Amino acid sequence: MRNATEQDFDDIVMKNNKPVLVDFWAPWCAPCKALAPTLDELAEEYAEEMEIVKVDIEAHPALAARFGVRGIPLLMVVRDGEEQARTVGTISRSRLDAFVEANVGTE
Amino acid sequence: MNDIAFLGDPAVKAQALARLRSHIAAGTFMIFPAWQDGLANVIGALVEADDKQAFAEQYGYPIALATALEMIVNAFKTLPAAQEFVEALLERTPVGADLSGVVSQALVFLLERPEIVALVAPHAQVEQCRQAVLGLHQRVIAGEEPDRKEWKSIRLASVAASDMIVDDASAHMASLIIESAAWPASMRSVLHDTLGACGRLESQQLMDAIGWTEADESRVFKIRDKAEGDGRMAELEGLDRVLALLDHDDPALARGFRERLDQFKKMGEVYRTVGWKIVDFIEQAPDPAGM
Repeated sequence: MRNATEQDFDDIVMKNNKPVLVDFWAPWCAPCKALAPTLDELAEEYAEEMEIVKVDIEAHPALAARFGVRGIPLLMVVRDGEEQARTVGTISRSRLDAFVEANVGTE
Repeated sequence: MNDIAFLGDPAVKAQALARLRSHIAAGTFMIFPAWQDGLANVIGALVEADDKQAFAEQYGYPIALATALEMIVNAFKTLPAAQEFVEALLERTPVGADLSGVVSQALVFLLERPEIVALVAPHAQVEQCRQAVLGLHQRVIAGEEPDRKEWKSIRLASVAASDMIVDDASAHMASLIIESAAWPASMRSVLHDTLGACGRLESQQLMDAIGWTEADESRVFKIRDKAEGDGRMAELEGLDRVLALLDHDDPALARGFRERLDQFKKMGEVYRTVGWKIVDFIEQAPDPAGM
């Protein structure tokens, strides 16, 4: 799992050959912290199909502004350089899996 | 050595009990925090860190159980009750027992509870998913390993079936329990998430029983929030202030809020029940080495 900055976001996310699940988070956000182990598992499970990239919106507020992030945790799927879907707030593991399946697809 | 209790070594069990008892004797066993300034909960007491993975690896408990353990212990609410539970868990765990089926057994127990069966019975697709998830866990208990595609297929079907229940809040919440349980026991948060879904249903049912609604909750919040702004009854603190504000502004709402507080004190029954069931399952787990 990589961390993106304002400088390398386009290279890592928008120009990525694979779909990317972007996790907008902040160090003070407890639900974001709670989501982290789930994303670790997800990264392992979907390693072949997609990449997960984290964006700390405290350190990179311009990225939060660019994508209209008004609540976190916010998960956004980017495919072929375009946002395909997003989900905001706490989400169950099963719902997250269904979200990824619907927007990335593995089968 | 995966999920072999205390890694098959009596000295590991002795160390676990010694660490726990030392914290209990010193008065440093806590429900929260996990590990801070010498204070420790069930995880911190045994691994001297806030590290569930280490707890699972050092003592041979399944990672999904380690992940859910704080939630279960916290439901005992008082320290003596929590200490009694944790001590029983360690004492009744046989050294060398194969604990790999325990999480699936706990999930089967949760999915077979009569209230869950009754809530989803009118919803055929959800009931089919419940049966299918049960079937997968029962195969795990029997020693099989259903593959990832089988789990995923049933999980996605469970999510879709849950979404079809739009006019029955309790049945919908029961269906969320089923979709949460549609993971292999090796997925670390499966028991935690399933218990969480059970807790939300329990909370909803308690609130329904006294007729307390989200609108009531919102009215309490707004009265409290307004007082934060205008400084009314600032001489009081916390709950005392909230209750005094409600008594003054809306006595009927105050009565309902007191009842809601009483109901919340009763919450956690499902966590405590499954906690003791897990201890039973562990005690009866097979011993592959015949120790």
